[in-house]
Amino acid sequence: MSIPETIPIIGASWDDVLFVLFAVAMLGSALLVVTLRDIIRSGVAMIACFAALAGLYVLLGSPIMAATQVLVYIGAISILVLFAIMLTQTKSGPARLVFQTQWWAAAIAAVLLVVVLTAVVVSTDWGAGPPQESTTSDVARLLFDAYTLPFEAVSVLLLAAVIGGIFLAKRDPSGDEAGR
Amino acid sequence: MSMAVVTWQRLNVVGKILAIAVPVLIALGLVTVGVAILAGPFAIEFVGDNVPLLRFVAAIGAVLLLTIPTAFVVIFMELKVIARMNLRVGPDRVGPYGTAMSVVHGLKFLSKEDFAPLGVDLQVFTIAPVVVFVGSVMTFLVIPFAPGLFGLDMNVGVLYLFAMGGLTVVGLLMAGWASFNKYSLLGGLRSAAQMVSYEIPLTLSLVGVVLLAGTMSLNQMVLAQSGSIADWYVWQQPLAFVIFIIAGIAEANRSPFDLTEADQEIVAGFATEYSGMRFGFFFFAEYVNVFVVSALIVTFFLGGWTAPFDWPFPVAVAIDPLAWGVGSLVAILALPVVGTLVLAAPFWLSSRITTLQALVIGFILFNVVAIGLVLGWAFVSLDWVSGLFWFFAKSYVFVFFFVWLRGSLPRVRIDQLMGFAWKWLLPAALLNIFVTAAAIVIVNR
Repeated sequence: MSIPETIPIIGASWDDVLFVLFAVAMLGSALLVVTLRDIIRSGVAMIACFAALAGLYVLLGSPIMAATQVLVYIGAISILVLFAIMLTQTKSGPARLVFQTQWWAAAIAAVLLVVVLTAVVVSTDWGAGPPQESTTSDVARLLFDAYTLPFEAVSVLLLAAVIGGIFLAKRDPSGDEAGR
Repeated sequence: MSMAVVTWQRLNVVGKILAIAVPVLIALGLVTVGVAILAGPFAIEFVGDNVPLLRFVAAIGAVLLLTIPTAFVVIFMELKVIARMNLRVGPDRVGPYGTAMSVVHGLKFLSKEDFAPLGVDLQVFTIAPVVVFVGSVMTFLVIPFAPGLFGLDMNVGVLYLFAMGGLTVVGLLMAGWASFNKYSLLGGLRSAAQMVSYEIPLTLSLVGVVLLAGTMSLNQMVLAQSGSIADWYVWQQPLAFVIFIIAGIAEANRSPFDLTEADQEIVAGFATEYSGMRFGFFFFAEYVNVFVVSALIVTFFLGGWTAPFDWPFPVAVAIDPLAWGVGSLVAILALPVVGTLVLAAPFWLSSRITTLQALVIGFILFNVVAIGLVLGWAFVSLDWVSGLFWFFAKSYVFVFFFVWLRGSLPRVRIDQLMGFAWKWLLPAALLNIFVTAAAIVIVNR
């Protein structure tokens, strides 16, 4: 008696159920990011959203993408965002943020984003059949063979960003008129 | 009063407990036998058909359970070893040599009030210890303990490890913020800055090992180091070994890098407002982390479960009790009696103790000898037993090393900590990558 391939009554496969669960979790927490009024809670909801996305990557047969998602987006970017918020916010300040004055700009941006995404989804040839498992060596081969130039260009861009950051953060040795 | 009530009142406490427990146990046993007879064949079939799924569930359960003895042993080592280094005795009241002291600590946490101060963000405050704990425990899942004994052989194992390390930071930051306390917030911010900084040299120091092994699966890495002691990566990657130990101490928030809970500066850092088992979870996670970092050092650089030398006496002890027929039954029945008598004889003859005392001593000695023989037999003939032995022996050497560091080194300042990570460890790790890659290219040419 093995566990059936599909769910008995609905007929959906287990992967589909997991996909729906992760997708609902992702969209739900993404909604929470914009609806919650406490900015730290929004940040925590964003982390949950990234985690659900990592789950989707695992379902699509790309564990390296999922691990990188958790490592970079949860372990580094979200941490830095929360870090910056905590350094700049105090509990004595306005706890409830007032974004609502910019709702029309946000609405226009959201509609534009939907249009762009729809165009991309419709125009892409998705191929047929189940997703292929991608291993680390596959990704490495692509990255250092077919896409070497973009990879190096990104490296140079990041180096420039690092140098720029150091330059901006550097104190003027004479002590006056820093950052000119 | 009826007979039953009078009899009940005459029983002492142990008698009352037994009077309730024995019928319950008998009933439970009968039910178990009945269920086993009725559902046994189905259960066996189910297990046979779903081995991968059940193996995964068992691995998760084992990983969660394993954290408890691990944390208890590390806590006891911390209490006792530091006490000896401070010329104190340390715990010596509960259990032999105070070994049950960490259990008492655990029960103490459980019995304390679970208190949340006014002004905390209660939901985030509650989730934070769980996130920290899960982040540390999940790393157990990919560690190979012995040949064939691992939770999951992930081909992105190294990335997974560091991803789970990142989860811990999220938990600490959440705890620091939600506590509504300036010291907690400082502790959370310090932990974020420290762990994000030290994660980089930690990850980069492993790139050399990944290059050498050609895989990111921890199990494959151990297999690549099997052979002799000369195959361990510590000889080819000494710089990475040192960087990994230093950055690992910082990742585990251990002294001399325990800035996040520096009690002389910021009370207890992120854990200031926590009490009861929530606080216990933080400390559980910390001690589990000490073991995990030690286990990772052993896995990446010291050959994991591989033995440092081949066992010099190759023996293949194949015991087949069925071949002896009735003789085995007699042996099983007679051996304990004969063993006890033989071991009791010298005490009975030499000193003036009673026969009963001599028999008790003989029985205990027989048990020690029998368990020793069985363990020795398992060590020699089962490779996963010897693998487990070597893995835990090597890991606890490093646990001892971490405790030793805590007992002897003063805490560094926060600016020294950050400067060291970015100005020394990071360039050293990058240098290590270049040298390793160049060496591999030259050797393979």
